[in-house]
Amino acid sequence: MEQNKEMTASQSLQLITETLNNSRKDILRSNAKYYMIWGALLTLFSLAIYLLWKTTGHAYWNLLWFAMPLVGFPMDKWVGSREKVVRSENVISRITRGIWLTFCIFSCSVALFNILYSFANTSPIGTIAVGTSLSGQIILLFGMAETITGVALKNWIIKIAGVVTGIGGLALYYGIGLYEEQMLLFTFAGVVLFITGILVKRQNR
Amino acid sequence: MFPKLDPLLHSELRLAVMSILAGVDEADFTYLKKQTGATSGNLSVQIDKLTAAGYITVEKGFKGKMPRTTCKITPTGQEAFSNYVEALKEYLSAGN
Repeated sequence: MEQNKEMTASQSLQLITETLNNSRKDILRSNAKYYMIWGALLTLFSLAIYLLWKTTGHAYWNLLWFAMPLVGFPMDKWVGSREKVVRSENVISRITRGIWLTFCIFSCSVALFNILYSFANTSPIGTIAVGTSLSGQIILLFGMAETITGVALKNWIIKIAGVVTGIGGLALYYGIGLYEEQMLLFTFAGVVLFITGILVKRQNR
Repeated sequence: MFPKLDPLLHSELRLAVMSILAGVDEADFTYLKKQTGATSGNLSVQIDKLTAAGYITVEKGFKGKMPRTTCKITPTGQEAFSNYVEALKEYLSAGN
């Protein structure tokens, strides 16, 4: 880029538009890495809980979900610290972070209420009803967070992935078993998120 | 009568730097260099000019053990950039 190049008005406006587009692409490239990390973690954790639950018959393995952020956040931070270029914060990146933080708060609250209800309720049927509806609620919240992220970033891959996860996940939820099979919904969400990361990275190379 | 285009912003690299900084809280030198594709020397000179005009502020610090130069747009710079974009729009609408 030359510092003294004469520009026409339209060239100047084009340069501003290009710069803004490049910033958006840069955010998408950076986000793609995190989709891959969290997609892989979600897949691994859901499969591990599914297998442990299936082999032991205990639903308590669900508590392992709380270990996922304990692994994910340090990993997230480590990947961020390895970046040579420090990415700047802007409105879009703040909105995106807000969306996923809201998802975390809402899904953790839903899970916590479910646990408290399970302990308080003596009826096994009531406990099963609440427990099984939890997966459907979380998968919908997850799909919604992903779709809104796609809207904020103006990216059709993320929008489609969000709809596939939310609506597709809900369709699967109605067809899947009541117990450990529910974990496979999150394996599905994790795989979709991981693939989204790969596609977004390729799209914004 | 068309408004005069700010000569400081009517330069390819300086305009690119200001466009980046107008949309973010702050950006470091390496990021600006990567986004604009400019050489370090060239970018430094243009950043100095924008700083001298009061359009941006430059802060030198460290990220771990590595030195880090951070640039931030000032309210004056934000206003100059908005005025420049408005002027460009007037030029273009007159041309249509």
